[in-house]
Amino acid sequence: MATVPKVDVGTDYKEKYGFFVPEDYIFKAKRGLNPEIVKEISWMKKEPEWMLKFRLRSLEMFRKKPMPTWGADLSVIDFENIFYYLKASDKQSTSWEDLPPDIKKTYDRLGVPEAERKFLAGVSAQYESEVVYHSLHEELSKKGVIFTDTDSALRDHPELFKEYFGTVIPPADNKFAALNSAVWSGGSFIYVPKGVRVDIPLQAYFRINAENMGQFERTLIICDEGSFVHYIEGCTAPIYTTDSLHSAVVEIIVKKGARCRYTTIQNWSTNVFNLVTKRALAYADATMEWVDGNLGSQITMKYPSVYLMEPGAKGDVLSVAFAGKGQHQDAGGKMIHVAPNTTSTITSKSISKGGGRTSYRGHIKMYPGANNSKSFVKCDALLLDDESRSDTYPYNDVDAENVTLGHEATVSKVSDEQLFYLMSRGITRNEAETMIVNGFIEPFTKELPLEYAVELNRLIQLEMEGSVG
Amino acid sequence: MTLTLDSLDILQGEPDWLGERRRGALATYERLPMPSKTDEEWRRTDISGLNPTLFSELEHKNGFKLDALSSLPRGVILEPLRVAAEKHPQLVEPLLFSLIKADRDRFSALHAAFFTGGTFLYVPDGVEIVEPIVGQHTSHEGGTALLPHTLIVAGRGARFHYLDEYIGRDDEPAAYRSGSAEIFVGEGAEVGYVAVQKWGRNAWHFADQRARLEKDARLRLFNVTLGAQFSKTRVEASLVGQGSDAELKAIYFASGKQFFDFHTLQDHQVGNTRSDLLFKGALQDTARTVYAGLIRIEKGAARSDAYQANRNLVLSDHAKATSIPMLEIDNNDVRCTHGATVGPVDPQSMFYLQSRGIPAPTAKRMIVQGFFGDVLDRIPFEHARNLIEADLEARLG
Repeated sequence: MATVPKVDVGTDYKEKYGFFVPEDYIFKAKRGLNPEIVKEISWMKKEPEWMLKFRLRSLEMFRKKPMPTWGADLSVIDFENIFYYLKASDKQSTSWEDLPPDIKKTYDRLGVPEAERKFLAGVSAQYESEVVYHSLHEELSKKGVIFTDTDSALRDHPELFKEYFGTVIPPADNKFAALNSAVWSGGSFIYVPKGVRVDIPLQAYFRINAENMGQFERTLIICDEGSFVHYIEGCTAPIYTTDSLHSAVVEIIVKKGARCRYTTIQNWSTNVFNLVTKRALAYADATMEWVDGNLGSQITMKYPSVYLMEPGAKGDVLSVAFAGKGQHQDAGGKMIHVAPNTTSTITSKSISKGGGRTSYRGHIKMYPGANNSKSFVKCDALLLDDESRSDTYPYNDVDAENVTLGHEATVSKVSDEQLFYLMSRGITRNEAETMIVNGFIEPFTKELPLEYAVELNRLIQLEMEGSVG
Repeated sequence: MTLTLDSLDILQGEPDWLGERRRGALATYERLPMPSKTDEEWRRTDISGLNPTLFSELEHKNGFKLDALSSLPRGVILEPLRVAAEKHPQLVEPLLFSLIKADRDRFSALHAAFFTGGTFLYVPDGVEIVEPIVGQHTSHEGGTALLPHTLIVAGRGARFHYLDEYIGRDDEPAAYRSGSAEIFVGEGAEVGYVAVQKWGRNAWHFADQRARLEKDARLRLFNVTLGAQFSKTRVEASLVGQGSDAELKAIYFASGKQFFDFHTLQDHQVGNTRSDLLFKGALQDTARTVYAGLIRIEKGAARSDAYQANRNLVLSDHAKATSIPMLEIDNNDVRCTHGATVGPVDPQSMFYLQSRGIPAPTAKRMIVQGFFGDVLDRIPFEHARNLIEADLEARLG
């Protein structure tokens, strides 16, 4: 009997993607969380007084807020054993060549495509806690688009910044929003002026590269009336042995008639707690689209939400979650209908494998007066073996009149008929399963730019192959 | 006067074990807090206006009207539950409140402490009863507590139908009502159970229905909810035997200021089991309904097939339906589908019918009838079907 060589891609993950570059930080904050650390962060960043006050107030709220008692178990997070701020180099680079060699090496290993470097207008790449590489295409500048890291935005566009910062997700929103508000660092700031369409997606790479270091980036996107922007956030992270915390806050304001799409591919290493608050406000006839893929992390709790503030607003969440061994992806979406004639859809696709657990958790809320609104939720789950688990928790609160609400969900395994068909064509079981899984998440992949779709397919392939043998 | 230990004295002539249990349940009731809005199950269910102990007068102390068939097959026991507790303790004692635990919440405890009417039906192995058995629970006055409990035991391969009908007048003052059922479906047995809730419009109704299905058992459980100002029904099926099959269906029609709450559980504990749930409701005026259902497939329950759907037809602008279908799936070799919809009458259907010269009210009525049509077909037996169709007809006006 011929033996098929075993390709166990999972084992060389560390060699291929689990690199890390020796830490060489200009400033390294101490572990732990207290007002001194917060003051130090603010001082290092030379922030205005109001921001320091905002941070200190948020820290207090963080202390007071209880841990969420639902969803995943978060009791193992030790807030005192985390670095809340790190800075890799003092000065912001303006071109790829000027980047410090260590950082450049990191991106080379990551395989940031040459094409992206050349053609993408702005690559705002976050290495550790601050954006270090940043170049803004001239054309964008000419149009009046601001695409910068959030720290620079606070410095260079104080008026605009102060007007919107913390208005969508106030620090008191939840414990992790409060934490982020206290110690935030980095993230992207985008302003798209009235009527401007940004045709190429704006991207940022986030990475965690220090043990026990949290990333608390803060992203703020403002789409002025009639504008359009597509922002892409993607991340891969090296493997480390101790728990890491990622707790971002993303605030988006989509004004009248504008459209914003926010795409995430999250692939944190499987020791990261990914607890992110993402929310958008959509005004009259505006469209907000969250395209959200969660592959990595130990625990993800993330429910991108859209507040439909004025008539005609539209919200869309497309979410994919993949939970392997030891992972719990608690993801979903929230649609808050505040105004009449608003529409929303949530599509969730989840895959559990090797004892992983995926939970869809969603909330559709229609406030009194949000009449004639429509919402549709569809959740499909695929369970690849009998150790894995899938849950669906859709919460619906309707206080509006004449509304239409639909929810549909299915949970199934890879169908024997499909497997049989593919295998009868000479395809191995593993390949066949991979094809079926890729087909299952196709509605998601086809919304991604090509290079991301390719990357996602490759990641799924890695995850699937890792289990064989 | 309130419902206290003294109230239990009225229920004399019961065996000691039952008295003991009632006192235990009353102690549980006193120990448990009132459910509050912070409990997930009660978040959307407002009971602030209720003090159940105010309804201290117990009705049906001496049983109720039981439509006994002229001739029951040999070995079948059909008695008021309290009589059966006395006469057949070996059958009743181990099963009573073993599926519906008194300590689940305050209302379960109160029910277990003060249940009065209700039936015990025992059908031995292999026995088939063709005619349906009907238990009618009619309230005679308002301001009272009327808490019937039905206990059904189906032996291996037994086959029969049972109907519980809860009836009250709409002009009765506020009252406290329950109507719970524990159903044990033995191996290969086939049971049809229908509960029709038509309490008066001022009643508070709390019902727990729970069934346990052994190997190859089949249960068709059907609920009709039309009455009470407040109605909360929990419908739960535990599939503990391979090849068991539970069909849980319901129709409800809420109008005026009625509030209906349904919580359902399809608990697949072993493999090769099937459950099919369909709850359909229409809402009118300022009525509100809440549906929350869970399909739970436990670890070893491979090759299970579960279906859950809740459909709400909202006939007025001010009526509100909430629907929360949930899944917890711990096994991959399953097929699970669920769906929920809340929506008004389809304007296109209305337009179509009206363009055929049908006046709007008639058209709307036809649409509602059509909406309920597929689930009405699933009523397990003729007698219940006729009754329900007549009731629904009356409601549609």
